Order: sequence, then structure tokens, then C-alpha cells
Amino acid sequence: MSGSDSDDENIVQYGTPLEPYEEDEVPSKRKFQQPPDQYAVDAHGRRRFHGAFTGGFSAGFGNTVGTPEGWTPATFKSSRSEKAQTASQRPEDFMDEEDRSEFGIAPKQMQTVREFSGQKRSRPNRYHEGPIPGEPVLEQLLRPVHESAAVRMLQAMGWREGQGTEFREAKQDSEESSESEFEYETLFAPEDYEPYILQRKNDKFGLGYSGLSRHSVLGNLVGEYGSSDNRSHLVMKDKGKKVSIRGQAFGVGAFEADDEDIYATEDMSHYDFALGAPSKQVERKSVKRDKNVLEGFMKSTKPLQPVPSYPPPTLPRDYKPKPAGSRRTRFEPTDKPQRDQGLGRHDLTADARGALLGEVPIPKASTENIPQPGTRTPTQNAIEKLFGKNVNFVSEKTESEDFISIKDTGGELKTFRPFVSNPSKQARYERYLESKTTDSDSAKDKLSKWEREREMLEFEQAAKLYRPLTGVIGDRFTHASQPDDALNPLCAVAKSSINYGLASEEMIEAAKKGAFGVMTRKKVDWQPEPLVCKRFNVPELGGSRQEQNKEVKPKVSYSIFSYMESSVHDKESFTKEQSKFSGSKSLSEEVRVQTPKNQDKTPAAASVNKRMTVAELFLKESENTEEKGQEVTETIEKFDRMDLYKAIFLSDSEDETKETDIFNEMPKNVERNDSPPRGIFANINFDEINSWKRSQSDKNSSDPKQNTNNTDKTLSSTDKNNIDAKQNTTDTANKVDRNATPEELNVYGPKIPDNFQLNIEFNTNEIFKPKFRRKEDRKDSSSSDSWVDAKEVKSKKHKKKNKKHKSKQKKSKHKKKDK
Amino acid sequence: MTEVTQITALTTIQCKQQAVRSVRFNIDGTYCLTCGADKKIKLWNPHKDLLLKTYGGHANEVLDVAGSSDSSQIVSCSTDKSVILWDVTTGQPLRRYRAHASSVTCIKFNEESTMAVSGSIDNTVAFWDVVSRRQEPVQVLKDAKDSITSIQVTNHEVLTTSVDCHTRLYDLRVGKMVSDYMGAIITHGSLTHDGQCYVLSCSDGTVKLIDKDSGELLNTFTGHETQDFMLENCVNEKDNQVISGSASGEVFYWDLISSSVTNKLVHKMHKPVVSICHHPTDSMLLSACEDEIKLWGNVIAKE
Repeated sequence: MSGSDSDDENIVQYGTPLEPYEEDEVPSKRKFQQPPDQYAVDAHGRRRFHGAFTGGFSAGFGNTVGTPEGWTPATFKSSRSEKAQTASQRPEDFMDEEDRSEFGIAPKQMQTVREFSGQKRSRPNRYHEGPIPGEPVLEQLLRPVHESAAVRMLQAMGWREGQGTEFREAKQDSEESSESEFEYETLFAPEDYEPYILQRKNDKFGLGYSGLSRHSVLGNLVGEYGSSDNRSHLVMKDKGKKVSIRGQAFGVGAFEADDEDIYATEDMSHYDFALGAPSKQVERKSVKRDKNVLEGFMKSTKPLQPVPSYPPPTLPRDYKPKPAGSRRTRFEPTDKPQRDQGLGRHDLTADARGALLGEVPIPKASTENIPQPGTRTPTQNAIEKLFGKNVNFVSEKTESEDFISIKDTGGELKTFRPFVSNPSKQARYERYLESKTTDSDSAKDKLSKWEREREMLEFEQAAKLYRPLTGVIGDRFTHASQPDDALNPLCAVAKSSINYGLASEEMIEAAKKGAFGVMTRKKVDWQPEPLVCKRFNVPELGGSRQEQNKEVKPKVSYSIFSYMESSVHDKESFTKEQSKFSGSKSLSEEVRVQTPKNQDKTPAAASVNKRMTVAELFLKESENTEEKGQEVTETIEKFDRMDLYKAIFLSDSEDETKETDIFNEMPKNVERNDSPPRGIFANINFDEINSWKRSQSDKNSSDPKQNTNNTDKTLSSTDKNNIDAKQNTTDTANKVDRNATPEELNVYGPKIPDNFQLNIEFNTNEIFKPKFRRKEDRKDSSSSDSWVDAKEVKSKKHKKKNKKHKSKQKKSKHKKKDK
Repeated sequence: MTEVTQITALTTIQCKQQAVRSVRFNIDGTYCLTCGADKKIKLWNPHKDLLLKTYGGHANEVLDVAGSSDSSQIVSCSTDKSVILWDVTTGQPLRRYRAHASSVTCIKFNEESTMAVSGSIDNTVAFWDVVSRRQEPVQVLKDAKDSITSIQVTNHEVLTTSVDCHTRLYDLRVGKMVSDYMGAIITHGSLTHDGQCYVLSCSDGTVKLIDKDSGELLNTFTGHETQDFMLENCVNEKDNQVISGSASGEVFYWDLISSSVTNKLVHKMHKPVVSICHHPTDSMLLSACEDEIKLWGNVIAKE
């Protein structure tokens, strides 16, 4: 033993000694492995395989199968608010992420979508989420047939499934041709045959070998085409009682040695029964072999058909490749010249357009175009003296460009022809445009009176609408006071800091001299809002005014009345408005509430201010006017509004009675709509049109003097028309309310100061005369027994009389009040 | 060895706001607000050169800013036509008023910061109720015929200056508006601390001292360059000096009585000093030029 001990001392041992074999033990091929090494683990170091025989899958939530945590079952929760969703379970639900990784059993890969993979497109399987989950059985049974275009074409040509595609031929079989069934010549399709397509071998495997398919366990193709079988490669066969599962995943494990074939049966055929070399094979019949031909093969007689090559089509010479993905942006310049849009009026300059319209070019300095000194009226001089030089908002000059009648330009201008579909009507319309009457020729057209009347309205409206530039929109615009350069940001704008903010000449002079103080100072009443006072801790001024300052929201009113009031389209008011906003000229509210010493001159201005633009209307409504001085103009506006209101709602019946008195013969239109006009008629003063009509018939019955007046009315002489108008009004005024005295006139409504009355008359005759538009003149001459359109520029006296007249007609309390 | 007090730049802050449109002290002068072309408002401690907060939310250049009397709110106005009321601590906009039709150029709180008064290029002055949730202006003054350039609010008066060469003083107690024609565009107007005079920066290269009651010209201060800039002016805390920025990059100090230039502070040569603001109680001045603000103050120098 001692010797052996010394032996042990001399030997140096490395590693772990193998276990000594037992005497009769057959050495195992297996290598020695430590127990922990024998477990296959996944990327996270967790055991991959579980269970004795069913292993191979890591399973459970977080690989928990086999652990105390076990399986995490799905929870079912359903409440009234949140109904449980039927969640269909997919195989993926039972997989861990490594199963879906590249080397897992169901690898998830990026691959082209079927649509683009070149294969036939199949609908994505959308299974019903109904009570039976999974693919519907019917869908499994019935597969939709997809036919290629070629198949469809063939079918259209008479081909049926199972037939050959060659030419049909008569049956040649003798025994069948004798039968009566095929007496007539019948052509039979050739037999179909499965073409034997030689596929080139392009891999280096042995013949007949198919390598591991890249099917995943779940059977979805992983990038392998051509295989019609997209089932799982796990094949389950039921042979009697035995169930054998074959498939890729069930091979030999990575860490396991090949199992012995436990089912192999020992068979005597496995053994050799003779000693020595195996007996010689029977000599094969030696075939004459060609060169380069493998054994068992023979050289084909026909050469292999060359793969036909189809050259790509030649491209057009000027073809530029445009990738499908690249989208053109809208902002790219187009090669094509742009199609002409609209009327091409945008490439015209303002002057060219003006020339087309036949305008008289405005002299450059439009702000300074003071009328000839000879024609200046003393009032104007006075106003100018008062406000400096900038009172020319009523310059006579504008008269010519204010109204471009159809007559002037209509011939050359391509105006819109609204009644083209009805040529006779269009002709009548054109006649109407020329003469503004339909009386003479309309008899020929065999129209009833009522029809004619209606047509008149239509024409009137159309004429208003389709008037070039002076249409409904046209007169909201004014000529540019500055050249177009003013809009160019690169051009320096002329500084005009001298006369902003309505400084009078005296003020400017004083400021120049440096004499600030009394001369440059203006004091104006100003009413702070109660809430402002409250917030500033200042006692409110004049508690009585509180009701007036009630908050009126600056709402856009769509009421017909506000529209009538606001739709002041004449140019004069517009220029006035504009200049007011720009602050370069005209009057402001400060002027209106100036010191009493100027008051005898302000009414002139106030009467001008009567007209309101939309903008001003909004302003007015929002600020809920406070100044007393404005009330003078306010009343007139109210009158207009009141007028209109009565015209539509109240006075209809009374008018009717009066009408029937005078014109008994007039047939009453039963079909007439009595409701207030809306839509395109909203802006038409029907009563005025009617009255105009009436005066036409009046012409026949009344005195010859009026008759001559009316015939004269087509003349464009403003003076004459004015006289006519005055005569008409006075006539009717006398006729209807003969006992109405001027004193009584003033009784109605808020009193207008006496000096106003004078001024208004004066102004009407002197200043505003040239501003009447021809259209209005016509109306003037005819509006004898009617009230006044709210849009018209009228002298207040005019208005008053009409007003009076109106109230006289009524048997209402107004009249009683008057008496 | 004499002790001489000298005004020098105490701190210089690069605001990084592209161009500072205005700089304003808060009510007690411990903080200041700048607003600039980068659409932001910044709250600073100028004495410590500290940026405290940035307020973003305007859609365009912020033209003017004002702090409330309790320093809890900021109101600002911008070329995006809106007026925004900010909460100082959270930095969130509390209200956004959008009634002006054009850029809002100037804004002020009233004495109790219950109302903001803003002036705009649309020629209007709007009173905004900051206390209630009302979105419309309480009152709109439409007297001006051109852009409003500046607003001053006292306890019962609102002074506006306008490009239409007029100053307008709205007296809430009397219910009168007094307008004075100045003959030149007024780029800024301020009131002296005694409330008796206006100081008006005119575009004709003068700063005018106008008596409030009579509208008479008391004094004219010249020497600075105006060019086309909206220069601001202010009066020092003792009401004895008139201060104005200049297009030449300097800040001018004039003696109120003698109208002689007493001091010239060079902010940055040839760059306009567009906004200045005087400390309410100390002799400190903030001036803004390009993206830089400077705090000027007295330093005792020994000679």
C-alpha cells in the first residue's frame, strides 16, 4: 500500500477523474455531463423544456408551467358597463416570445405581403367573432375559386374544365361515329393532359431530396413559394389505434443523443449468412453509354428547349421614368401652360379694365378735385372753411363715374343674358334695358297684364343683378384713390402726418407755430361704461343713462330691416365712409357734437352722414350710440325702417282699399304672395315698383300735364326730372292730404330743428342735386303716391311729406294723434 | 477725493428674444418683463441677472407687456391681434382676448389691475375686464383716426397717443375726452408722476412736455435721433428729468426745467433704444436695444 501511496504522491492529477467502469459494464457513448448542463435553456437562462415526454416547449406565462405559479388563466370579467369581449384565442397566445423569434417554432419574420409577393391574392381571413371561434366551417369546405384571366378567356371561348386547349376535332373513333347521337358533325375537344414540366434543378442536394422545409409549426409559409400545401408539417396519422405524429419539430433534441430505435425488431435479414465478401451482383446489361452521361440516363434526342427570352418593349424616345412612389407635389411648376381661368380679367390693369367698361379716367389727384370755383356754393365754402379743405366727399365730379348705365356700354359689353333660353323674353328684356319700359311692345307678345307686371319685376331684378360693375356688388366699391403702387410693399408710402385725425387748418397752423393750447385742444363729451367706472373706482356719470347703455351685442342681424338699412350702395356714402376710416378727410363724430357756434353748419354734414355702410352699422350697433347730435340722423333712419315695416306688414290692406278706390278696373291678383319678400327679392321695394306701375296707368287717366312729364322722363336731364319729381310729390301731397300744413308735418316723430329744415332743402337743391343717379330720377318721377325706398338719397322734406301722406292713409291712432 | 454719483450699466442681459419690443418694470421695480419678436415674454430679476420664467403662447411678436399691481398676473399684447392674461406662477394663459382687428401695440393695467387697456393698430382702445370671464371688451374707444401708439392709465384717466398726431386724455370722473393736436406723430406718451404734464415723444425729433390742463407746450427736448422708430420716453422718479431712447443707441437725460441734456447713456451705438422703463422709486432705468436689456443705476465713484 505504501508503494501505491508513493505512486499517488508522484502523480499530478488534472480534472475530475472519470468514474471507474464496473467490471461488466458496457461503456456508454455519452459524454459525461453535469446535471445543470443537461437542461436546455432559453436566452434568459430559463429552462426551455418541461415535462417528461411532452417537452420541447417552454410554456406558460413567463415560462411558468411546471412551477408553483403554474398557468395563468385568462380572466373573465363582464359588467354592465363593460361587456366581456369574446376573445378568440390564437396559437400565439400560448407561445413565448422566443417561440416567435427567428429560431423558434413559429418564427415571425418580415416578409412581403401576399399582395406584392407575386402570388395570387387571397383575402385575409377574417373570422367571425361569433359564438363559434375560429375559421368558419363553411369557409373551410368551400374555397373560392380564383380564375386567372387566361382561364376566364378560355371559358369564354368555350373551354371547359378538363378539356384540352387545342383545336376541336371530330371524333375519329369508328365505333362512336356510327352512333346516331353524333350524326351531325360534332367537334370534340381534345383530351386534356397534364403537361410534364421539367423543372430545372437549381440546388445541390441529391435527387429527390427536399431539405428541411421552412414551414413553421403553425403551417404558415416562411418565405417559401411554390408549395401548394400550406398546412403544418406536423402530420398526424391515424393508423388504427396508433397515432403517429411526424413532423420537423419532433426530431432529436439538440442536447440529446440519437435515441435507439426502440421499436426496431431484430430480423434475420440483418445478418450475414456467409463469410467472406458479399456475393457479386448480377452483371447488369451493359448499355452502350454515351460520353458524359450518367449511368441510368440517356441523352435526349431533342435538345432542351432554350428558355425563350422576351426583350422588353422599346421605350418612347421622350419617356422619362417616373417611379410609382414619387408623388408630384402641387407646388411643382407645371409644364403645361395654365388654362385660361375665368375672364382673364386679372391680367388686365385697372386702366385697361376701365377702358373696357368705358369709364372716364379719373384725374390723378382725386382728393383735390375741387369743383370749379364758379360753381361753388356758399354752403360748401362755409363747410370748407369750417373743416379745412377736405370736404369734397360730395364732389360733383363723381357723378359721371358713379353710374355706368347699360346704355352707355351695354352694346359693346358682353353682359350676361339671363333669358337666353327664351328668346322672345330676352328680346323683351333687352328692350326693357334700352327704354326701361315694356309698355309699347308687350301687347304683341300676348301677355296678360299680370304676367307683364311680373316680368317687369323680373327684369328689374335682372337689370340690377347683371349690371356690369354697378350691380349689387359693383356699387359697394369705389375707385382707388391711390395708384396700385400703394399696395406694393417695396414702394415707400408717402408720409402724410400733417393732417391726420381731422385737425383743422387752424390747429395745424397753431401746431406749426408751436402755439399749443387752446387752438390745438378739443374737448368732447365722453361716456365711460358703467363697468369701467366700477373697475376704476370712479362714480358713474349720469345714472339716468344707464338704460341706454344696456349692452347690445354686436350681432350680425339677418333681419330684412337691417339689411335694407345697411345696404346703402351708393358711392358717395362709401367714399365718405372710407375717408372717414382712413382719417384723411371727412367728418367725424367729434364734428357732429361740436360747440354750438358751429351748429348751423353741421346739419349739412349730418345729412350726408345719414347714409350708412354696413361697417358703420355694425359699429353703431355695437356702441349703441350715445351722442345726442346723432339722434337727428337717427330719427330719419328709424322712419325709413318704420316705413318699410309698414310697407310690408301693416299697410297692405289699407293700400288695397285705396287702390281699389282709384283703380277699380285693376284686377286683383289672387295668387300673389303676401308674405314679406325674401331671397333675391328681399332687396326689392315692391311697393315702389307697383307704384311706378300705377303711375303708368295713372298717366292715361290723370291730367295731361303729368302725362307729358312721364313721357319726358326718359330724358336723362337731372334737373328736369327733379322738377318732375317735385311736382309729382307736391301734387299727390295736395291731393291726398290737402289740409296737411308744414307745422303738422313736424308733429310726427321727433322734432327736427327748424334750421335743419332750411338746410336740408337748401342742400337738396344745391349740393346733392348732381348726385342723383339716373335710376333714382326715374323713381323720383314716379314715386308720387308711395313712400320712399330706404336706399335712396332723399331730401328730408320729401321724406316728411311721404311720411305724412302715409300716416294720413291710415285710420290708426297715428292719425288720431295728428288731429 | 469727491464722491460722484454716476449712472452706469449695472447689469446687461442678453434676452435671446431676437428683438426686445419692450421692457417693463413690475410694480415695485424688483422684476422686469421683456417681450420680443420670438413670441415669448420673459420675466427677469434684472438686479441679479436672473431669468425667472418664460411665457409662451402668442402666435406672433409680443409688442407690449404689463404686470399687475399684485405681481400675480401679466397682460401682454401681440401682433397676432390678441391680448393674453397670464398667470405669473403657472405660466399659463388665463384669458385670451381677441376683439382687436389688428396688431395690438400697447397695453396697461389700471391701478387695481382689474382692467386692462389695450391700444391697437385698428385705431381703437379696448377696455378688458380682467376680473370677470367676459371675452368682449367692456368699452371700445374709437376716437383715434390712426394707430394707437401708447397708453397710460392713472386712477381715473386714460392717456392715449396716436399716429393721427393727437393725444387723447379720457377722464372717467368728468366724462370728457380732451384731444390735443401735436402736429407730428406721437410715438409715446407718458405722464409725470404728479399727473400734471404729458411727456410726448414726437416723430419730428422732439420730446414735448405738455401741460395737461391747458394743453400748452411747456418745454421741448431735442438732441436725440428719432428716425422712424417708436421711441419711448419716461420721467425719472423725482420728476426732474425726462428720459428718452434714441435711434443712435443712446439714452438721453434732459433736465425737465432747463431742457438741457444732462446725461447720455450709451447702450449700443447706432442701434435704436426702442424701449425704456424707469424704476418706480429708485433712480434705475431699464433700456432695451436689439436683444439686450441693460439696467442702469447710480454708482458712487470716487475721484
